[in-house]
This record gives sequence, C-alpha cells and structure tokens, in this order.
Amino acid sequence: MATIQVFDPAACCSSGVCGADVDQALTAFSADVDWLKQHDIAIERFNLAQQPMAFADNATVKGFLERSGAEALPLILVDGEVALAGRYPQRSELARWTEISLEKEVEESSCCGGCC
Amino acid sequence: MAHRKFLDQPPHFLFFTGKGGVGKTSLACATAITLADTGRQVLLVSTDPASNVGQVFGMTIGNQITAINAVPGLAALEIDPQAAAQVYRDRIVNPVRGVLPDTVVKGIEEQLSGACTTEIAAFDEFTALLIDSALTADYDHIIFDTAPTGHTIRLLQLPGAWSDFLQEGKGDASCLGPLAGLEKQRTQYKAAVNALADPQRTRLVLVARAQETTLREVARTQEELTAIGLTNQFLVINGLLPQSEATQDDLAAAIFEREQKTLAAIPEILKPLPRDYIALKPFNLVGLPALRQLLMDEFPAVSGNNALHQAMPFPGLSRLIDDIAKDGSGLIMLMGKGGVGKTTLAAAIAVNLAHRGLPVHLTTSDPAAHLNETISGTMDNLQVDRIDPHVETERYRQRILKTKGAHLDAKGKALLEEDLHSPCTEEIAVFQAFSRIIREAGKTFVVMDTAPTGHTLLLLDATGAYHREISKQMDHHSIAHYTTPMMQLQKPKQTKMLLVTLAETTPVLEAASLQAELRRTGIEPWAWIINNSIAATTVQSPLLCQRASNELKDIEAVSAIHAQRYAVVPLLKEELVGVQKLLELSGGNQ
Repeated sequence: MATIQVFDPAACCSSGVCGADVDQALTAFSADVDWLKQHDIAIERFNLAQQPMAFADNATVKGFLERSGAEALPLILVDGEVALAGRYPQRSELARWTEISLEKEVEESSCCGGCC
Repeated sequence: MAHRKFLDQPPHFLFFTGKGGVGKTSLACATAITLADTGRQVLLVSTDPASNVGQVFGMTIGNQITAINAVPGLAALEIDPQAAAQVYRDRIVNPVRGVLPDTVVKGIEEQLSGACTTEIAAFDEFTALLIDSALTADYDHIIFDTAPTGHTIRLLQLPGAWSDFLQEGKGDASCLGPLAGLEKQRTQYKAAVNALADPQRTRLVLVARAQETTLREVARTQEELTAIGLTNQFLVINGLLPQSEATQDDLAAAIFEREQKTLAAIPEILKPLPRDYIALKPFNLVGLPALRQLLMDEFPAVSGNNALHQAMPFPGLSRLIDDIAKDGSGLIMLMGKGGVGKTTLAAAIAVNLAHRGLPVHLTTSDPAAHLNETISGTMDNLQVDRIDPHVETERYRQRILKTKGAHLDAKGKALLEEDLHSPCTEEIAVFQAFSRIIREAGKTFVVMDTAPTGHTLLLLDATGAYHREISKQMDHHSIAHYTTPMMQLQKPKQTKMLLVTLAETTPVLEAASLQAELRRTGIEPWAWIINNSIAATTVQSPLLCQRASNELKDIEAVSAIHAQRYAVVPLLKEELVGVQKLLELSGGNQ
C-alpha cells in the first residue's frame, strides 16, 4: 500500500487557522488527511517550522528546497517519489494514489456522518 | 511573627495570583524569605513576563535557578517567556542551520516568533517545575509569583486543555504544532495538572486590595478556578490602612471607611476562603529588611505626631488633555502594569475629550477590564466598547467555522474546531479586533485602556508580526500604498502612548522598562501619568505623610529622567464612578 509524505510550508499549525487568514486549501486537506487515516493509509506530515530536520534528512526534499525555495511548498511524496508540488492534492488524487474507491466512500458517508 | 493563615502548614507549591500592583511579588518574596528563615529550602519562581523579583533582591536572577546570597536556603528563578521562546527556537532551528538554504532557515525563525511559541515555551518550563523531581527535589517549598490574573488563568487552563488534547490524540493537525516534539511528555502535562489541583501539594493564594473593582476581579478568578476544579484557595487583602490612621485626617478616614465598607460587602464566593489582612506599610517593599517586615503586624512607629503634608503643585491631567485635543483625532493608548488605574484614566481622558465636543471611541483590550463599571452613564460624542478576548475569540471561531468549515464533513469540522480551541486563536482574534479599531483613529479619537504589561507586549508583538506578514504579501502583489497598525503606532501625531504608573519605586521601574521595550519597537511614549499620588494631596495622617514624602523621589525620577511630559493625579477620597466624577478628575468641569 502506498505511503504518503507531506512536507508542509512553515506554519503555526497544519490546518492553517493560526495564520492572519485561514487557508481554505489547508483546512480541506486536513480533513482529507483524517479521511486517509480512517482508511489505514500511512500518511505523514512534516511542518517546516516544527520538524525542519525531516526536510534536511530527505535528499529529495532538500534538493527541492534548494532549487525552488520554501515558497514552492507543499511537496507531496508517494513512496518516496515526487507526486505533487506547490499545492495540496484533491481527495480524488489521494484516492487514485492509494486505490481507495471514492464511490464506496460516498455511500458510507451518506449514512449519518459517522454516528451510526 | 503574626499568625498568617496562608502560611499555615504550607504545602510544596505556593502560588500568588491577582492583578498586577496588588503586591504579589512582595508577598511571594516575603513568604519565601519567611520560610527560608525557618530553615526550609525554598525556590522562588516568577512567571511574570515583566518579572521584577531580581529587582526586589537587588541582584540579577534570570532564567536559571540562582541562590540569593543574603538569605540562606533561598534560591530564585525568573521564567522569561521571551527568553524561553528563544531557547525553544534555537533547539529547533540550530540543527538545520547551514544545512537548509538560509532563506528557508530565516522563514522558519519568523514562524517561530509568534505569540503561541512564546506561550508554549514558557508553559513548558512551568510544567517542568511542577513535576521534574531532579530539578525540584532539593526544595521544601516552591513559590510562584505568577503573572496578572488573565495570564495566570490561561496558564492554569492550558495544562487541562493540552492534556485533554494529547490524550484524545485527535490527529496531527494541531495548533499545538510546536508541541509536536514534546508529545512524548504527555504524561508530564497530566502530572502537572494533577499537582495543581491537589490541595495536599498546592496552595493558591489570591491577592487583592480592599477595592471594589479588585475584589470583583478576584471573585471572577475564583469562579474560573472553581470551574477548572481548583477550590482550596486562600485570600490575602494587602495594603489595608490601619484604623489608628483613620482619626488623623479626612483622606485617611475616607480611605479607611471605603476599605472597611468594601470588605463588608465582599463578593459571596470569596467569603468561605481563609482570609488574611496585611497592613499598609509606611515604607516601600524593596530590600530584605522591608520584606521581612511585610508579614509582621508590628513595624517601627512613624515619627512625628503633628505631621502635615501640603499638596504639591504638580502638573495635572487637564494640561495633557489640552495638548491631546489640539491634534483633533488620534489613538491614545494607556500603558502600564495592571492596577495602576489605566481604566479610570482612559475613561477620564475620553470623557473630557467628549465633553469638549470631540468624537471619542473609548475601548479596552484588558481581559479583566471593568470599563463598563467605571462609566455608569452615557454622554454625547462618546462611544464605549471593549475588546473582550472571549467574545472576540468566539466570533473568530464562528466566522472560520462558517466560511472555511462550510464544505467540510463532520469529522473535518471537528478537527477544525479542535484547532480553533488552541491558545493562539485567542491572540489572533484579539489582535484582529485591535487592528480594526486602530484604523478608526484617523477620523476620531480612540482612547484605549490596554491590558497588563505582558499581554500588552504580546499584543504589540502580534501587531509587529502582522506588519511583517502584510509586507511579505505586498512584495508578492506589489501594492504600493499601505499602512499597517504598527506603522501607525510609531507616528506620534497619530498615536500617543501614555505610560501610567504609581509614585512607588517598583511601579516606576516597571514603567521605565516598559518604555525601554517600546523604544526598541520604535515607539516613544508621549507622556507619563503618575496616578493615586498622596504627595499631590494634603494629608495629616503620619503614615500617609510618610508615604507622601516617600513619593517625592519617585516623582522626581519620572519628571527628570523618564518622561518627556508628565502629569500627577492625586489619590481621591472617593472611587471614581460616573461621568461627572471623571470630568472632575480631568479638570473638565472647572
């Protein structure tokens, strides 16, 4: 099963609510991460301001930072290879990488929002 | 040695809490000395962002446990939140310096310069003292001279919130991000909360003066503490005028009567608490001999039975307001430690300006403000409101949940809500409200009664961060003309900072260090106001005469060294409530 690593730009928190304004994409992605975890997908997030060593220790990420700078983040690796950069993935993209069926998901979530 | 209930079989941890200026530092110091004098090993800890414990002992202490040479068995430590944040930053950033590109490293440092990093770093050290046995095992007692009420409450609330969060482990999308590296210690946070809530180990002493507003605030604190499960508090009424003085003159009689009346009507929730009274002393509480005498009932008699002090002709508040009125509009900010009377003075200035027909917006960001209680009437041209941190935070939360959370599923919403309950959300919400009001000051007068020192500094820090944030965005979008709140604060035509203090050694020094802080941010305080001066009144009570003559050197220091311009406001017989009394104070009714 695919392993996803997300290298976030420096931010106080990963949902972005701590910034001067909330980044819509970031809040949506936070929810998607949670969704992936419910499907037992291995997903790790690293924040540049909190775990810079994770960026320095990964040759791919370090090279990316040297070439494109922190403003080009986020960077998403799937099984160690660059899958996406500069924006957060859509849920459909995550589904494709991890081979989760979105249709099945729709049925599930239409039940009662997880309360049953 | 007088019997003091709060010193009865003291537990391991002793906290002194209350708003600034009520004498927490002095009481904590005196308690520490008293316990050390009985042969105990004592550690005195200050968590106040503007700590002055070192000042009290006449030595530099700082962020490490330092033995107080003059008192065997006593050591002290000042937790400086800013310094703690720097250590924290270094811990994260140093390993990647020279490894990642410089611009990237600079960006990381910028992100870690916010208010939340400061809070977390300070809290982290605070936690260590409550649980770390290696650090604290040598001490029989650890005495905390805590920060002003709002900050203290937040500090106390944090462990609960954090350990809940860490226990529930709601994913990694947390505003406690900087805590990520500390998550291993989740058991320690839990232990810290347990230590705080355990009356066998912890005693919380609420410190107040016999003033209605102060007691009401302490009552609120007690409510909040009770709500988070802390019920075994003690109450100390500090600086009470002795009855013997009341016969000496009108002011002393008025003060005595006011204090006794206030105590008789003490808020219900405070009544069950074990209570101590500490008499007003004719000396300033600096140095060992003075501190040793604080907890004693007996102190050297004040000499001179036929004492008389004539009111000194200091410049008054009305002259300052004349100058303020000339500019027609602008932001007037009152700064200073809590309890020096910023709220009353801000109200007096606002009422005076409005009385002159000028449009005034009076507002406050003080979490413990009682502005609405000070102006118990309305008048033309005057708009009164406050930045209530709780209201602002809730409004911010709701706005974000409604806009950004609209498309999220139930689980996503829960996650977002979790982040919106983080400690930094409040800082952001308050600072946004603050910026909003600053922008109004181009057209009208905006008089702000700001929060106690530490909070004020955080607020300014947030404004500075905002400035940098805007500048960064502007670079990207190349918009030529913009004004940030910080830029406005730096212009004296638009913004006048008034430093409020009392004619006592420590408050003047505190105001001076606040001034130094401001100067580092490029802001020059416009004037100083010395409030509640006895020297500016005529008194006959030997104790008050003694205090009046003690004040002279402090007023002299303000006028000669610290202030560009200054005013002295006398201590009054009655507490100032209502528009008419405020006008009298500011000279608008003469």
